[in-house]
Amino acid sequence: MSVRELLAEADSAEESAGLLDEGAKREVRRAVLVAVCVPGYQVPFGSREMPVARGWGSGGLQITLGVIGPDDVLKVIDQGDDAGVNATNLRRLVTGTEHCVSTTDTREATVIQTRHRIPEEALGPDQILVYQVPVPEPLRGVEKSVVECARMHAQADYSAIWVSLYEDLVRNGVITHSTGYPVLVDGRYVMATSPVPRWDVPRLNQCDHLNLYGAGREKRIYAIPPHTDVRPLAFSDVPFEVEHVPGAVCGYCGSTDTFLVEAGEGYVCSDSDWCTRTSTGDVDGAAHRDRAPLAWLPDPAHRVPRGPVLVTEPEPERAAAAKPEPSELDWILRVDGLGKVYGRGGARAVEGTGPAAGTAISPSTGAVVAAWDVSFDVAPGEALGLIGESGSGKSTVLRCVIGDELATAGTVRMATLDAGDTDLLALDSTAWRRLRLDTMAVVYQDPAAGLDLRISAGGNIAERLTAAGWRDYRAIRRRAARLLDRVEVPLSRMDDPVGTFSGGMCQRVQIAKALATEPPVLLLDEPTSGLDASVAAGVLDLLRGLLAERNIAAVVVSHDFSVIETLSDRTLVMQTGRVVERGLTDQLFHDPHHPYTQRLVAAARR
Amino acid sequence: MHDSDAAVSPVARIRRLRKTFTLHTIDGRTVHSLRGVDLDVAAGEHVAIAGPSGAGKSSLLRCVYRTYLPDSGSVLLQTESGPVELTTLPDRALARLRGREIGYVAQFLNAPPRTGPLAVVTAAALRRGLSAARAREAAETALRRLNVDAALWDVDCAVLSGGERQRINIAAGTVAPPRLLLLDEPVSALDPANRERAMELIANLTTQGVAVLSVFHDMAALRRLATRAVFLSEGRIVAEGPAEKIAEVAA
Repeated sequence: MSVRELLAEADSAEESAGLLDEGAKREVRRAVLVAVCVPGYQVPFGSREMPVARGWGSGGLQITLGVIGPDDVLKVIDQGDDAGVNATNLRRLVTGTEHCVSTTDTREATVIQTRHRIPEEALGPDQILVYQVPVPEPLRGVEKSVVECARMHAQADYSAIWVSLYEDLVRNGVITHSTGYPVLVDGRYVMATSPVPRWDVPRLNQCDHLNLYGAGREKRIYAIPPHTDVRPLAFSDVPFEVEHVPGAVCGYCGSTDTFLVEAGEGYVCSDSDWCTRTSTGDVDGAAHRDRAPLAWLPDPAHRVPRGPVLVTEPEPERAAAAKPEPSELDWILRVDGLGKVYGRGGARAVEGTGPAAGTAISPSTGAVVAAWDVSFDVAPGEALGLIGESGSGKSTVLRCVIGDELATAGTVRMATLDAGDTDLLALDSTAWRRLRLDTMAVVYQDPAAGLDLRISAGGNIAERLTAAGWRDYRAIRRRAARLLDRVEVPLSRMDDPVGTFSGGMCQRVQIAKALATEPPVLLLDEPTSGLDASVAAGVLDLLRGLLAERNIAAVVVSHDFSVIETLSDRTLVMQTGRVVERGLTDQLFHDPHHPYTQRLVAAARR
Repeated sequence: MHDSDAAVSPVARIRRLRKTFTLHTIDGRTVHSLRGVDLDVAAGEHVAIAGPSGAGKSSLLRCVYRTYLPDSGSVLLQTESGPVELTTLPDRALARLRGREIGYVAQFLNAPPRTGPLAVVTAAALRRGLSAARAREAAETALRRLNVDAALWDVDCAVLSGGERQRINIAAGTVAPPRLLLLDEPVSALDPANRERAMELIANLTTQGVAVLSVFHDMAALRRLATRAVFLSEGRIVAEGPAEKIAEVAA
């Protein structure tokens, strides 16, 4: 055989197999079916190498190849243009390998592969719109960690993206987020609309056609099936807006109700098929006008005022936060036999550790018994102190109580949850998240642990409020301003990133954020330890005032007797992972019994 | 000890009260403070404790208030809802009961840092169960009665003079008078004019039915205020009787 013959044979073999073998197509269809079943959810799939550069439509191309057959009619557009180089090449590639025909007329197409646009022509139930997606993750802009994004989707925790909208409004007075606007699909998943303009977003809601999104590089497929609710994320009092330049007209066909893009001096339709047919009168203009998103044109009357908020503005009545049900219990938070062992052995490692042994390290397994057999409860309006030197286990106890750390032993209960019958430690992460949102808030020693330093003070508070379901921008602003005013953060700094704040100011913002949803339990982990004396005093005074004016149950962890004495009514003293003494705070201070407490008190009396 | 008026049960009934301190930071030595004290204080009665320094006078007050945890014995407080044993009462219940029913005027004012007189006295009135508005009003009245200059009402207590602090302390202890009031040298740092005002105020408490247990070094004050007195020595009551008689013993 000659070389020429060998090459010819190889060419024909490749042609018959197509670009994707049957196994690869099946993989795509399987992912598409899952995506249709769970609208808006990004389904991973075994993305193949395609003869186009990744980011140039390899995901969309695989879906098209997976769903298209010889009877289909293909249309490919790039920025609404059938004649673009990329569109032409992809069209030739698919028709050449799948032996189907192609068209530029949207009405004739059964499969339309698109980049950046939804056609102006109405799409019907027999049509599939395939999108080339560069970035499938709507949360990518607000969260870099893939794992964290997955958690947010799993728990429907979308406060981060709401905060990004909040920050956009604060900075710019309007939402500047343009292409790929985030939408909530079927009331569950937040989805990136691929980079279509906002103009096209309203057309997705309850549409008649199937939308399939493919991202080849990220190996994700997702879908919006026909007749699905699709809502752009927007605050209830700041309406969603589409792009619009008043008076803009297509220079070719004279349309005013299509998506227009700048071209030279004027504007043109970003849909070559529609523009051509409009020129020849081959369109239903009235029906198109009904479909056009004219209800979402920008309206300056709906714009939000920029600049600081007046706290004197009355806060509208809101449904009061779920009050704890009247309970027979005289505590709201109760911890029994809590223990945490780092290392091997679990409860078996405890033997031979503790204050008497003088070590927290297990002689049998070498594990560190950070805390063991810690029990306490705390009532509304009461503050409990947890004191001990560094390494005594007090912060470990707090971390176990709030679920930052998995306890080795013991139970934690809240009177607000099943009348105190349920052990919090057995809850799943979604229930935990809810609990930490409306029932139990934490103020950490390190502001970076409780705040996003890149975001404004108001935005940090908005994060909690949006997580708790607040969707009214002005109400969020007012509440944030009120809280910041209460913790004495100047309102002129409300819109500055927290990272530019001093340590004391950060703590104040953290406290305001913790109180945003008025949780009945507040946990304070060394709230003033990183601050210099005068700033710490201010924060301490603030906390004392807040605890006095609200019926909060507080747990205060500190190594500093003055903090404990100022804030708490009762106190536990911890040493080497165990509670060695407990009592009324003034009694512990004046009449300490345990040798360790006596040393602590002596040290505090400088 | 007997009860002179058996028909009325005393507000506070102290029995066999003992307190020792173990000083672990030194060498583990034990210091005996109270060695079995029996004492009753009835409503409208002012019982004064006299005795030399180190006899256990202040310790007795603190054991009743439970700033010190007694080793053994009993302190029974008569309340609206019946008698309550203070020595074994759970901490949380004690904290609530204290705020409402027991006033304690220590030798030195123990105000929260960076707090002014009005806030201190108002907080005490709130703990006794007054409404926010009435608490503030009562606090203002109390401070005025004790001649605390209104210009100082929002000044940090820590920068005030000893006499001023003591008057604030008395105001906090007597505002919306509690059932049982413990006074530890309440007028020791006052000038004659203010001392007279304070003593008048304390004398009025017994007519309002408050049970007062106090410690005085100054025998003139003891004679004037106490309806009865006991003499404490080395943690035991060695004499008791009318104020006049005990004042003589003490002298």
